[in-house]
Amino acid sequence: MSVETRADSAIPAESAHPLKHSRPLGDRLFAALALAAGLLVLVILVLIAVSTSQQASSWFSAEGLKIFSDNWNPGANDYGVLAFIYGTAITAVIAVVIAVPVSIGIALLLTEVVPRRRSAPIVYVVDLLAVVPSVVWGLWGILVFAPWAQHIYNSIASGVNGIWVLGFLFGGQNISGASFFTAGLILAFMITPIVTSLSREVIATTPSIDKQGAYALGATRWEMIRGVVWPHSQGGVVGAILLGVGRAMGETIAAALVIGSSPTITSHLFAPGYDMPAGIANLFGESSGIFRASLMGMGVLLFVITIVINVLARGVVERSARRSRGA
Amino acid sequence: MRIRGGKQLTAGGAVAVAAVALAACSSSPSTTTPAAGGTTSAPATSSTATSAAVSGTLNGAGSSFQNTYQESAIQAFKSVQSGMTVNYNSVGSGTGRTDLASNVVQFAGSDSPIPSTETASFKGKTVLYFPVVIGPITISYNLTGVSSLKLDASVLAQIFSGKITNWSNSAIKSLNPGVNLPSEAITPAVRSDSSGTTQNFALFLQTAAPSDWSLGDSSTVKWPSNARAGAQNTGVAQIVKSTPGAIGYVDYADAKASNLTAASIENKAGNFVAPSTTAASASAAGVTVASNLTFHAVWGSGAQAYPITYQSWVLVYEMQPNANDVAMLKAYIGYLIGDGQSLLPSLGYAPLPSNIDSMAKAQLNQITS
Amino acid sequence: MAVTAQAPGGPQNIDLREPPSWRRTKNRLMTVLMVLAFVITIVPLGFVLVTVIAKGASVISWQFLTSGIPPNVLPANVGGMGPAIVGTLEITALATVISVPLGVLGAIYINEYGGKGILARIVRFMSDVMTGVPSIIMGLFIFTLWTLHFQYSGLGGALALACLMLPIIIRSSEEMLKLVPDALREGSYALGASKARVTVTVVLPAAIGGIVSGALLAVARAAGETAPLLFTIGIVTSVNSNVFSGATTSLPNQIFQNATQPYTGAQARGWGAALTLVVIAFIFMITARLVTARFAKYSS
Repeated sequence: MSVETRADSAIPAESAHPLKHSRPLGDRLFAALALAAGLLVLVILVLIAVSTSQQASSWFSAEGLKIFSDNWNPGANDYGVLAFIYGTAITAVIAVVIAVPVSIGIALLLTEVVPRRRSAPIVYVVDLLAVVPSVVWGLWGILVFAPWAQHIYNSIASGVNGIWVLGFLFGGQNISGASFFTAGLILAFMITPIVTSLSREVIATTPSIDKQGAYALGATRWEMIRGVVWPHSQGGVVGAILLGVGRAMGETIAAALVIGSSPTITSHLFAPGYDMPAGIANLFGESSGIFRASLMGMGVLLFVITIVINVLARGVVERSARRSRGA
Repeated sequence: MRIRGGKQLTAGGAVAVAAVALAACSSSPSTTTPAAGGTTSAPATSSTATSAAVSGTLNGAGSSFQNTYQESAIQAFKSVQSGMTVNYNSVGSGTGRTDLASNVVQFAGSDSPIPSTETASFKGKTVLYFPVVIGPITISYNLTGVSSLKLDASVLAQIFSGKITNWSNSAIKSLNPGVNLPSEAITPAVRSDSSGTTQNFALFLQTAAPSDWSLGDSSTVKWPSNARAGAQNTGVAQIVKSTPGAIGYVDYADAKASNLTAASIENKAGNFVAPSTTAASASAAGVTVASNLTFHAVWGSGAQAYPITYQSWVLVYEMQPNANDVAMLKAYIGYLIGDGQSLLPSLGYAPLPSNIDSMAKAQLNQITS
Repeated sequence: MAVTAQAPGGPQNIDLREPPSWRRTKNRLMTVLMVLAFVITIVPLGFVLVTVIAKGASVISWQFLTSGIPPNVLPANVGGMGPAIVGTLEITALATVISVPLGVLGAIYINEYGGKGILARIVRFMSDVMTGVPSIIMGLFIFTLWTLHFQYSGLGGALALACLMLPIIIRSSEEMLKLVPDALREGSYALGASKARVTVTVVLPAAIGGIVSGALLAVARAAGETAPLLFTIGIVTSVNSNVFSGATTSLPNQIFQNATQPYTGAQARGWGAALTLVVIAFIFMITARLVTARFAKYSS
């Protein structure tokens, strides 16, 4: 490919010195355009924060700190959203507990075990997982998976009721196919691609020389992974996990369809629950006045939480990347 | 070298969209559908409001309870006024009213009159209420071997407040002599989302059994801890269907579509009436109607009235910006309260009783520009 | 050091590099677990795809793809999802037109102009952060700022999707621009070209394959999004070809609505719409991979 320059080149005819300060108008315009585009991101973020907070202000002022109470009863003008926050956290935890081992396993498979040439099918499968839209996961979840899962949950629950930790988590009377666990499971499927691809990126930067050194010392592959790859990548993988958490917390539609739509705080994972994005999506329609402001307020809380988690995640990833570059 | 990337994508995308749009538009969206599954498309005879051809787009939004009717009416209305396009977005009564207040839509569907907290957003403009559907709320239950059940408001109130928790309770037994009621736990199935169905069911309990019901009559209720909540009528229907011992309030259309068994409820006259569209109209015929056409169809008098009945309105501004909007609204709303009513029974709704219907038709003339 | 002179009761030819059996077992076990992890992902993916294809294929027909949306009560062989397909394609196309140029320009700013400056670092960081903002927040945002003033329209939906796509495109384009070797830039500068000219005529074409591929993946993601469109586009039952005004509908919205309907016809149409949507997203993804394979000059 060739670089071409024309007679009417960038350097104005009258400027003799090619290093003259003033750049031609077209150049400056382009630079300004690029800057504006870059700043657009910041502008949008600020606008989101401002507009949603403003819509939520009547809720904040009406409830004060009670917004964090467990008392959600719009009929009696009580708008405590703790149950929604709880649901958001719990489903994200379930999603991460399921998705992280799987994602790291696949990432290791791709980087260490399977030769580069043969890795295409695995990458395609992970891509396919990412391409399935959220609403299709939800449709399948509520129409196919939940009814089937309800039988399984019932069997498990009747089996473990009374057994200490298992009963605490998987027991209870209120068993529903659409529940915290189902939502967490489907969220796990959805965050696996992103955690896998980020982990893979991080793991792939392990210096080959360290890996070869471990092999030279007689380590098996697993010992090499544990001794060389893991210490090198753990920061980045933690960052990837956090990003998965953020993504799981914000996932709306799949959760809205399969979480059970019941704002409760309970340890029983097979019970129906609610989380913030699903609450907003499902309840927005019939809401008005302070009820609507409370949903906007949930949006603000969700926004803040996901921003914080994403900032943390990126910070962790960057710091570990910097450390490994310096090493 | 020219930049191709984004522009090529745009060009390709535009061509693809144009191709599909052309394909979709040229094969005219087939709206003449064969009447299957028991629904009929109303013949385009004598429309009550206006016979002149009107054209334009009408947008409405609101109550999901009305949605099934609105969908069928919109479709059938195309043969009445082929130049008009009507859209109805089933987002819920609350958003419907908000949309009307912000002029995002021209009419709203609402299961309840505008609450006092919202009147300010309408900025003093007069809003007209047109009742369009009546609907029974069934009390559907899941009890093997029990094909008919009688319940009254007091027992219902106690079940849904968590005071009666087992099917073998003496109060239920005394209403159903001869029925073999199992000693099974009752699971009340309720709505998790805010809805007009909840509001009107609660209103019924409050009106008919005030001493047993203390949870209010708003669109969301703080249900007892043994209740299972589902989203939309279909969610509640799903819970009833899949949980032995469950009992829930589901609107008639959804209960029918989900094949649920419903109980007969004692009405004001002391008779136990099963839910049906005629019984629902009877309840609405037996209530007082305010001059602005707001009313509550629950607990109506009448020997064969089904007491748990509710209603939904179409809300419009009295003053419209131009004559075409007036004509469109008169045409469509006229259809909803006129010829469209014949669609209702097969959809699971009850038509308006004639006294309310004639008041609504008379009110049509109040829409002006 | 794990070199043993004799394997437990083994033959004469001992491979001294072979680790003792328990370490070998552990190694094999771990490999099996990794393969298992992969298999675990195939299972739900397979279930979903098989279900969508099986239930959707029976509904799909030319009539389905072009007819208007019938009332929910009507059975599956009536009507179709034509307006939703048109709506999805139009809204996604408009969102692409809005976000791709802006995103690429933003990436150009970060990589070419901003350099190591603090503003560029902030913009890059915030773009990353913005990719994690839940899509429903974008929907609420556009609803508040746009829909309440300009009513339902495809444009509102496209704006919400563009907000979603913008940070994704910025980051993926930036990665691609970073891969272009500096030698190209320096050669152009040496020949006297200005920065804008270099960027537009040298760097961008070099990275274009990767940029297009990244944009296509963002489009695939946007086509499947429901939440941003929930409150911004309204609903229609017949095609609205004007994406700038008037309500419209989209495949994800229809699927979301039909998932909660008790009528079997509506559910069947939902599956048909789901299959259509998956196929559309899949086509974008395959195209992205093809573009990367054939046109990306520099890839990681």
